[in-house]
Amino acid sequence: MISTLIALTIGLPWLGALAVWLLGDKRENWQHWTAISFSVASAVVATMMLWNASDAVGLSITINNVVFGEFNFVADGLGVFLSVIATVIGSLAVIFSKSYMKGEAQLGRYYGFVLFFIGGMAGLVLTSNIMLMFLFWEITALCSYALIAFNNDDPKAVKGGIKALIITSIGGVGLLLGALILFAYTGSMDINNFMANVSNIPASILSVLAFGFLVAAAAKSAQFPFQTWLPDAMEAPSPISALIHAATMVNAGVYLLARFYPVFKEVPYWREAVMIVGMLSALLAAIMALTAMDLKRVLAYSTVSQLGYMVYAVGAGSVFASQFHLFSHSIFKALLFLGAGAVIHSVGTRDMAKMGGVGKKLPFVQWVFIIGALALAGIPVLNGFWSKEAILEAGLSGGPGWIYGIMVLVAGLTALYTIRCVWLVFFGEARSEYHAHKVELPMKVALAPLALGALISWLAVGPFSTLLSEHTLPFHGIETIGIAELFHEVMSVPTLIALVVIALGIILWLLREKLTGVVEGLKSIRWAAENSFGFEAINKAVVNVTNSLAEGLRGTQTGILNWNILGVMAALIVLFIIVVLGA
Amino acid sequence: MWYVLIAVGILACAILAISAKRLLISAIWLALTSALVALMVYLLGAPQVAVIELSVGAGLVTVLFVFAINISGEEVIGEKSPLPKPVVWTSVLLTLGLVIFFILRSVGFLQLPENVSGSAPSILWSIRYLDILLQIVLIFAGVLSVIGLLSNSKTASHVEDKA
Amino acid sequence: MNLPIPFIVLVAVLSLAGTGFYCLLFTRNLIKLVVALQLLVKGVVLAFVLAGHMQGAQNLAQTMAVTVIVADTIVAVIGLALAVQIRLRTGSLDVKNLSKLKR
Repeated sequence: MISTLIALTIGLPWLGALAVWLLGDKRENWQHWTAISFSVASAVVATMMLWNASDAVGLSITINNVVFGEFNFVADGLGVFLSVIATVIGSLAVIFSKSYMKGEAQLGRYYGFVLFFIGGMAGLVLTSNIMLMFLFWEITALCSYALIAFNNDDPKAVKGGIKALIITSIGGVGLLLGALILFAYTGSMDINNFMANVSNIPASILSVLAFGFLVAAAAKSAQFPFQTWLPDAMEAPSPISALIHAATMVNAGVYLLARFYPVFKEVPYWREAVMIVGMLSALLAAIMALTAMDLKRVLAYSTVSQLGYMVYAVGAGSVFASQFHLFSHSIFKALLFLGAGAVIHSVGTRDMAKMGGVGKKLPFVQWVFIIGALALAGIPVLNGFWSKEAILEAGLSGGPGWIYGIMVLVAGLTALYTIRCVWLVFFGEARSEYHAHKVELPMKVALAPLALGALISWLAVGPFSTLLSEHTLPFHGIETIGIAELFHEVMSVPTLIALVVIALGIILWLLREKLTGVVEGLKSIRWAAENSFGFEAINKAVVNVTNSLAEGLRGTQTGILNWNILGVMAALIVLFIIVVLGA
Repeated sequence: MWYVLIAVGILACAILAISAKRLLISAIWLALTSALVALMVYLLGAPQVAVIELSVGAGLVTVLFVFAINISGEEVIGEKSPLPKPVVWTSVLLTLGLVIFFILRSVGFLQLPENVSGSAPSILWSIRYLDILLQIVLIFAGVLSVIGLLSNSKTASHVEDKA
Repeated sequence: MNLPIPFIVLVAVLSLAGTGFYCLLFTRNLIKLVVALQLLVKGVVLAFVLAGHMQGAQNLAQTMAVTVIVADTIVAVIGLALAVQIRLRTGSLDVKNLSKLKR
C-alpha cells in the first residue's frame, strides 16, 4: 500500500509532465487541464500517505549495486509532511497558472518543468539514500533554472536563472562531498543506517560533514552568505515564485538541516554556526525588505528572513518549531506570492511606486493578501503567530540571549515592512495611471484555500506533532503537543514582549510622517541595504569568473567531430592507464 | 581451425568495409562481418546472442543503411582527414596496446556476482530487470527522436525556432 | 594451429575494435561514421561473449550482450536519421560543414 502511494506521489507528476509535453502547444486548453488533473491527483495521493506514515522502508528498488546500495524510500513524518506541502501547493500554483499563463507561448515547456519539479521535490524528501537525494536535489535546481529563465528572450530573466543555478550548484557540491565521505566511512549510502551508527565516524570527519551540509543548505535556502540569488529569481512567473521560491525548493535546505540534526547536534560549534547563519539572514533580509520598491523583491527578502527563523530554530534545538513554522510559512507565503501575482497580472507592473489604491479595484485580492500579511507579521490567531512564537520560545531556552534579542527585533522589522508593503499597494490614492482588470476564477480558486489555511492551520498542531513524533522519526525525539499545551507554552512573558515589539513596528509605520528626521539619520543604512551589504558584489564576481572560464574553454570545442572522438579516446586511454597502474 | 578462418574473415571484411569507395558496398561488407561474428559467437556457446546478432546486425541494420543511402544519395568526399595521420595511428595503437595489457593482467582476478544460475532469459527478466527497463526507455527515446527528426520540414522548422 | 581459442577470438575482437576506432577518427562521411561505430560495437559484443566463455558464466554474459546490441541498434537508427536530416538541410554529408557553432 505505502509503496504504491510513494511511487504514485513521485510518478504521477512525472507522467503528467510527459503527457503535457507530448500534447503539443497547439492544444492549450488540454494542456491546462491535464496539468491540473495530474497535480491534483498527486496531491490526493500524498495526503493519503499522512495516515500511513511510519519509519519502515516504504518502497525499495533493488539494483544489486555494491556502491549505491538499495534505492530506498521511507515515508516518515518529515518526508510525508513536506511532500504533502509540495504537491498541494504545487496543485494550487498550477490552478493559478491556468489564468496567469493564459495565452502564453510554449506552455508545454512550462507545465512540463513544473510537474517534473513537483515530482522531484517529493522524491527529495521521501528518499533515504543519500545519492538519490543528491540526484533529486539537482533535478529541483535544474527545474528552478529552467523556470526562472522561462522568458528566455529577456536577458534579466536569463541572468537571474544562471545566477541561481551557479550558486545552488556550488552548494550541491557540499552535499555530494558529504555523500562520498559518508560512503567511505560507513560503507552504505543509507541515511537511517548513518544515524544509527554515527559513533563509527571519527569526530573530525563528522564536523567536515556537518559544515559541508550547512553550506549546501545555506546555498539552497538563500541564507547568509548566499542570499542574493533569491531576489533576482523573481523574474520567474509568479506561480513559480510561489511554488519554488517560497513553498518548496527553498525549504529543501531547512529539510536537510532538520533531517540530519540528531547526528550533527553534538558537533562542536555547529549549532552556534547554524544559529548565527539564521540570525544574519533574518536581520539583513529584513533591512533590505524595508528599502525595496519592487513588490516581489519585498516578498523574496521576507522569504529569506523567515527561512532564517527556521534555520535559527534548528540551531536552537527545536526541530518541531522549525517544521511548524515551515508549515505555516509555506501556506502564507504561497498566498502572498499568488496574491502579488494576481495584482501584477491585473495592474501590469511590479513597481510599488506606481501602485496605490489597488484595494478599491480588487477587493478579493486585497482581503486575502491582508490575511497573508497578518500571518507573516505574526499577529495573534493566525498561524504565523503560533509558529513564530514557538520558535522564539525555543530560541530563548536553547540559544544565547543576544541572538534571541535580535530575532525579536527582526519580528518588529517584519511587521514594519509588511504593513509598508500592504499600505503602498492597496491603500491610499493611485500614484500613476493603471488599468486594473478583474481577477478570474482560477486565481480565486487557488487563493481561497490558502487564506483559509492561514487562518486555521495552527489547529492541526496535535496531529502534526504526532506525525513527527517517535513512531516515524526514531532519532529526532520530538514530543507530541496538543493545542492546550501549545497555548500554555506560547502565552507567556516572552510572547508579550514580542507582541509589543510587533505593535511598535506597526505604529512606527503609521507615524512615518512625523519620523522623517529619524529616517534621514538612518540614510547610510538605507544605502547599504540597497546595495545588499556588498554581497551582491561577491556573487557577481563568482558568476563572472565562472562565465569567463566557460568562454575561455570554448576554444577546445572546435566543432569537428573527429577531434571530439579523439578527445573521447584520450579519456579512455587515461582511464586505462589509471586502472592498470592501480591494479 | 574454424576459429582462425573466421577471425581472418572478420579482419578482412572489416578492413574492406571501411575502405570501400561506395557507401552501399560498405554496408554489404558490414552485413558480412555481422554474419561472421554471429557464427563465431555461436561457436563460443552463446546461441541466443548469435541469433539476435544475425537478425539485427545483418538484417535490420543493413536495411536501415540501404534506406538512408537511398535518401541521401552517394557523394564523394575527399579523403583529407581533419586529424593528422600520425596522431590517428598512435592513439589507435596505444588504445589497443593498453586493452591487451589490461586483459592479460586482470584475467583470473575478476569476481562474478553470486547466484547467477538459470537460463539467459530467466536471468534477464529476474535479476537484471533494470536492464530491461533501460532497454524500454532507450527504445522509447529512439522512437521519439526519430519521430522528431523525420517530421516534415514545416513543423521541423518550428521546432528549430523553439530550440 | 594450436593457438588457444581465447587468443584467436581476442585477435578478432581487437581487429574489429581497431578498425572501428581508426575509421571513427579518419572519416568525414557521416554514414561511414555509423558503419565504424557498428564495427566497434560488434567487437564489444564478441568480447562479452568471450568473457562469458572464459569465466563459465555464459548466461549472464548473454544478457549483457543482448542489452548492448539493443542499445547499439538504437544508436544506429538515430544516427542514420540525423545523417539524413543533415543531408536534407545542408546538402552534404560532410562533417566539416557542421562545425559552425552558433555564437
